[in-house]
Amino acid sequence: MADRTFEMELDRMFGEAPAMADADVFTSRVLGRLDRGWNLRQLLIGGLGLAGGVIGGAQIVGSDVIGRLTALGAHSDRLVSARLDQLHVAGILPDGVLEALPVNGEALVMSAALAVLAVGFAVVRAVRDI
Amino acid sequence: MAQSSPGAFAMRATAHDLELVALAAAGGREAFGELVRRHGSAVRGLLRRMGADGASADDVAQDAFLAAFEQIADFRGEGTFAGWVKRIAARLYVKRWRREARRDLAAEALERERPADIRQSGAADRIDLDDALRALSGAERLCVTLCYGGGLSHAEAASALNTPLGTVKSHVKRGLDKLKARLAPVRSVGDAESDHG
Repeated sequence: MADRTFEMELDRMFGEAPAMADADVFTSRVLGRLDRGWNLRQLLIGGLGLAGGVIGGAQIVGSDVIGRLTALGAHSDRLVSARLDQLHVAGILPDGVLEALPVNGEALVMSAALAVLAVGFAVVRAVRDI
Repeated sequence: MAQSSPGAFAMRATAHDLELVALAAAGGREAFGELVRRHGSAVRGLLRRMGADGASADDVAQDAFLAAFEQIADFRGEGTFAGWVKRIAARLYVKRWRREARRDLAAEALERERPADIRQSGAADRIDLDDALRALSGAERLCVTLCYGGGLSHAEAASALNTPLGTVKSHVKRGLDKLKARLAPVRSVGDAESDHG
C-alpha cells in the first residue's frame, strides 16, 4: 500500500465520527455551562453597572454639578444676549429676527451636549461597521 | 437569542454548518447547540483516540466547545467547523496532558511499548482504528492522532507538545508503520471482497 494512499485512508478513518448514545446529554451539558457563564457575566456586568451608577450619582450630587450647570447656563445667556445686542446696534442683525427662537445660554449648552452625544453614536456606529 | 419553534428547529437541523456558525456568532445559543449536537461525538472520539479516558475526554470536549463559542467570530470557514473544534480540543488536551502528569514526550517514549502483534488476514481478525491505536506507545499515539485526527502539522504538534520536530516526526513514522501493519489485513480483506464483487 502506498504511503499516501494509506495516509488518505487513515484520514478517512479518523474522520468517521463514532456514534455516541449520550450525545444529547453531552450537548445539554455544554449548553448548561454556556448559560452558567452567560448568567454569571450578566450578574457581574449588572453589579458593576449598579455600583458605578451609585458612585457616579453620589459624586454628581455631592459636587453640586446641577448648580454649576445652572450658573454656566446663566453666564452663557448673558454672553449671547450681549453679543446679539451688539449685532443689533451695529445693524448687522435686524430687530425681531431671533427673539422667537430659543437662543439662550441653556439652549446652547444643551445643544452642545446633544451634539457631543450624536457624534459619539456616529463614531460607535462607524467603528462597528468598519 | 434564537427562539425555539418547530420552524426554527427544522431550519437549524437542515442548515449548513456555516449558517449555524453565523447565527452562533450573533449570539444564537440554539444554533451553537445544533453544532455541538452534530460534532460533539467526533470531538469526544478524537480525544479518546488521543488516550483520554471517557470522563477526561468529555471534560476537554466541553472546554473546547466553550472556547469555540468564545472565539467563533475568528472562524472564517477555512476548513470545516468540526476540524476547527478538533484542533482546539487537541491543543487543550495536550495542555492538560502536560500539566497533569508533567510529562514530556521523551519520557513517554521510554514507556514499554506494546508488541505490534500483527494479525493474520481474515474476517475474524478485522480490527478497527481504535484497536490499532492501542498498539502504539503513548507518544506515538498522541503524535499520530494530533497530526491526523487533530489536523495539526508536524511543526504545530511539536510546538504544542514542546518537543523537537524531529522527535514528533519519528513518533509519527513509527506509529504509522505500526498502524499500517495492523490495518493492512482489514484493507486486504476489504479489497478482496470488493474484487470478488
